[in-house]
Amino acid sequence: MADALLSLKDVRAGYGAAVVLDGISFDVPVRGSLAVLGRNGVGKSTLLLTIMGFTAIARGAVLWRGEDITRLPPNRRAQEGIGWVAQEREIFPSLTVEENLTVASRPGDWNLKKVYDLFPRLHERRGNKGNHLSGGEQQMLATARALMTNPDLLLLDEPLEGLAPIIVEELSAAIGRLAAEQGMTLILVEQHAEIALSLTDEAVVIERGTIAHRARSKDLLADQATLDRLIGLKVEA
Amino acid sequence: MIGPFLGVLFDGIAYGMLLFLLSVGLSVTLGMMNFVNLAHCAFAMVGGYTTVTLMHVFGWPFVWTLPMAFLTAAAVSVIFERTLYRPLYRASELDQVLLTIGIAFVSVAVAAWFFGTVQQPIQMPPYLRGSVSAFGISFGVYRLFLIAVALAIALLLIVTLEFTRFGATVRASVDNQRMARGLGIDVDRTFAITFALGSGLAGLGGALAIEIVGLDPSFAFTYLVYVLIVVAVGGLGSIGGSLIAATLIGISDVAGKYYVPETGAFLIYLVMIVVLMWRPAGLFARR
Repeated sequence: MADALLSLKDVRAGYGAAVVLDGISFDVPVRGSLAVLGRNGVGKSTLLLTIMGFTAIARGAVLWRGEDITRLPPNRRAQEGIGWVAQEREIFPSLTVEENLTVASRPGDWNLKKVYDLFPRLHERRGNKGNHLSGGEQQMLATARALMTNPDLLLLDEPLEGLAPIIVEELSAAIGRLAAEQGMTLILVEQHAEIALSLTDEAVVIERGTIAHRARSKDLLADQATLDRLIGLKVEA
Repeated sequence: MIGPFLGVLFDGIAYGMLLFLLSVGLSVTLGMMNFVNLAHCAFAMVGGYTTVTLMHVFGWPFVWTLPMAFLTAAAVSVIFERTLYRPLYRASELDQVLLTIGIAFVSVAVAAWFFGTVQQPIQMPPYLRGSVSAFGISFGVYRLFLIAVALAIALLLIVTLEFTRFGATVRASVDNQRMARGLGIDVDRTFAITFALGSGLAGLGGALAIEIVGLDPSFAFTYLVYVLIVVAVGGLGSIGGSLIAATLIGISDVAGKYYVPETGAFLIYLVMIVVLMWRPAGLFARR
């Protein structure tokens, strides 16, 4: 695909000798969005870690704007425009909210004002240390911190996990605005299949480290039988 | 009665400031980078011998040699960090101890080879000699200079680490290396700069120490004990903690040797034991 922002070509990756992902291939176009679904432990987070450069790639290639970045270290990938929101949020505890936002910020559209507009609660807590925030606030901070690097692609690893329903709603809306209004290219790993599918264009379902199914998100959302078979979750239509 | 007491207090504070300059770099590298660098005082020795060489061989004024002492120790430390230390960042503490204690032994031998085992006297400029009197007490000018330099550096370090983007980068890298890398921070470069800064400060401390405690090849080990006590008492990674601990240890050492010369040298160990029983992680540990 000529205009793919990110491409994975037959990637086999894992940790040391342990292989977690095998034969993974997909393209994400500019302004596209991809949901990555699957049961626990199938390799969804490892997929994002592989895109970021934190795993050992035994075979295949990761291409960024057509350039091979398979051997590029994580900090260089981030500088190239890949933003990452880790599953455990991984807020820097000794930094204030504002320091967390600015410590790795890079020039671009996203600045403090814009992320505070997206997450007004962070503005209220900007002087607090990172570890003095609720789970929902930490998730907002992790997302805002990645946006402050002005990425061209945002990787979100289960951003709604463990959050109260009202926060899930708030964050889902923010992610939706990022994709729809800001045109941010997204890869969203999420257990909440119905939310992930409603926020994205395309979806892949991972099983035992390989892509077991791929479809347009709206088609998959409507295909209750496939979702039930692959993910084991009932999705409310 | 009060005169000698204030004199001892002043000398103790000045000695403490010297210990602060020697130890703060180790506190930063040990506390923030988790690297046990027992060769820290070898970098202090590099600074000391840089000053001696520049003054004796090239005739530089003492004060001009101080930036060079900082830069030379920092530059040497960068070479060591890139070639020997970096591969051991994730190694066990025993591996780090074995490597760095070996480097300290080698540094003693190298210093003895080039400079001999004798003390290296230096001539202070006239404006740093003598003393000034206030409130009936005499204050050594050099010691006042030492206190001013140490306080200025403490302030500069606190401002740098707590209020600049570089300081935030260092703290973020220490908090979570993987996340820092994932956001685009060059953690290796950040640690290399931090290490060079810490070693440079040790070099500066080594140069400033010559007038107070002298300089010979045993310096790398003699002051390692003091430096480790300061870091342990102050708390790893705490600039303010190092400053207070160094002052406490400096005053204890001078007062102990003045008032109870037979056993006073042990007073610092007693202070350390009491503080660590009260606060095992040190007075102001960052973590």
